[in-house]
Amino acid sequence: MPLAGSLDIRPLLGAAPDVVLEDRELKVDDVDILQILYEVRVDDREALVPPALNPTIPPVVSFLVYRARDSVFGPFALAQVRLTARSGVRPRAFLISARCDNPALSEVLAGSWGFRVSPGEIALRRFHDRVDCTVRESGGVILQASLVDPVPVTGHDVQYPPGMHLARVQRGGVSKPRIVQVDSEYEFRRADRGRPELTSFDPGAWGDARLVPDIGVSASFAACDMTIANVRYICNPDIPAAEGTEKVSDA
Amino acid sequence: MEFGLFMELSVPRPWTADSERQVYENALEQVRLADELGFDYVWAVEHHFLEEYSHCSGPDIFLAACAAQTSRIRVGHGVVACVPQYQSPIRVAERAAVLDIISGGRLELGTGRSATWPELSGFGANPDETKKTWDEFVRVIPKMWMQERFSWNGRMFSMPERAILPKPLQKPHPPMWVAVTSPGTELDAADRGLGCLGLSPGGFADSEKKVANYRRRIEVCDPVGAFVNDKVLTVNFLSCHEDGDLGRRNGLKVASMFSYMASQLLSAKEVLPTHSYPSEGLLPALRRESGSPGDAAKSFKGVTMGTPDDVADAIAAWENVGFDGINFIHQFMEVLPQQYVLDSMRLFAEEVMPRFKAATAPTSPAARRPVGAGVA
Repeated sequence: MPLAGSLDIRPLLGAAPDVVLEDRELKVDDVDILQILYEVRVDDREALVPPALNPTIPPVVSFLVYRARDSVFGPFALAQVRLTARSGVRPRAFLISARCDNPALSEVLAGSWGFRVSPGEIALRRFHDRVDCTVRESGGVILQASLVDPVPVTGHDVQYPPGMHLARVQRGGVSKPRIVQVDSEYEFRRADRGRPELTSFDPGAWGDARLVPDIGVSASFAACDMTIANVRYICNPDIPAAEGTEKVSDA
Repeated sequence: MEFGLFMELSVPRPWTADSERQVYENALEQVRLADELGFDYVWAVEHHFLEEYSHCSGPDIFLAACAAQTSRIRVGHGVVACVPQYQSPIRVAERAAVLDIISGGRLELGTGRSATWPELSGFGANPDETKKTWDEFVRVIPKMWMQERFSWNGRMFSMPERAILPKPLQKPHPPMWVAVTSPGTELDAADRGLGCLGLSPGGFADSEKKVANYRRRIEVCDPVGAFVNDKVLTVNFLSCHEDGDLGRRNGLKVASMFSYMASQLLSAKEVLPTHSYPSEGLLPALRRESGSPGDAAKSFKGVTMGTPDDVADAIAAWENVGFDGINFIHQFMEVLPQQYVLDSMRLFAEEVMPRFKAATAPTSPAARRPVGAGVA
């Protein structure tokens, strides 16, 4: 039968952001995006994602890093660790956690889209032969990854599945555990792909010590305009998405 | 219209020591019945590492068993992964020839290139290369079959002059096909004179356009083999029952399970930015059919489920689109009891098949259009 998630979300709810669903989108021009994918070797794949989601075969961890030179909140960098998943038959990425170097933006990302985000120092540097990323927390490196030997591809070749963010969502005056589906749109100016290289990753610091990377899958770097869209769907984390998905506009 | 069974040989968890044997036994029983009932083809996929979804990594061996237990049905060895890290084209030609001989000349060879990340990365294949290697495979295989001794100096592989043995029983060689999921592959099939083995369900309008383009293009093709195989088959889910609601419900069980299981596999396109895979194979079509983010695939228009009349209506619609036949996914993950599957096949053969079987039967290679005929 299809593999179904079995992650117990209770221990995660304490640190899950409180989300108030409102009509809000965030448009950011001129964003650099580095995405590095690694397969994860783990015995219990189902336990990586909540029952609402299905794991992929194989599970793949995604290091997704945005750098924007400007936004309504000023310049920022945001680094996410996500895990490939499915909502029913659709590709999604379950957010493990994120780091951001812009406190004002962090507050909005958490409160409107359920980003489980905390402060971090993020460096993203693009060279002609490689793109390097380092994320530090409290002075220590928790992620260091690179794209090596970039070659041009098109924006159509690069995919970032919608994020699935565990949060406490206000519904009918009550706070309920929900997974917030975060859809983003991208208008690409350029895109490269290359070889992934992972120098350092502390999965425990990101929230799930089981996410030990195995083989590198791919690395891409893109320059684009990006919009984080208004939340359209949320789902009950405890039951399959086919049964527990709600359209926000139906409330 | 021609009709076939499409075997994924999926094995649901929990696995026991006997699970795989039981799935293979059930499949063989279905094939024996299909042979008696007048089905034209049994196709067996080649997949590796796709746990539960398909445990059919040795399709030629399975098909050899099918051939030994049947007398008439044609054995579709497809889709064979034409990726050198999986196997050499020499081995494909050799094994296919053996299968053709022991089946008494009933082999159809379907070619393809894999689309899932677990398979491609499992063999260390470069997804950027698979279209190119497929092209070289399909050019050399018919030559290996037809030439007494064969040598090659190519991009993907080279070999000194050797006799590749045995030669297939069918002369000049067995019919060849290509699996069509990515947009434009139907044109690749047409240009090479290969039959079109549709693997993704789609809408009528889109399918009609693709079939028309294929038909137009194959008229002026430069075939890789000694004859043109200009047939176009599509795929559908079969569940036929006098109680239409039951037939549809059971058919949707198969379709939903197929969609769920297929969607859990990572496609190459999803994780690797590459021009080589312009789409995610059959998955986008399945996802288009789902209503909301959480839905599994629902019934799509033209689905061959329900009463015999329902099924016949759907087949007639596909025939009008221009298809020559349909391969049916009639069971998946053993979601239907074996007896239901067999009864569904029987009812289909008794009530539906005769309406579409006026004069057609799979044609031998000799009867198909030889090279040069119809070429402008």
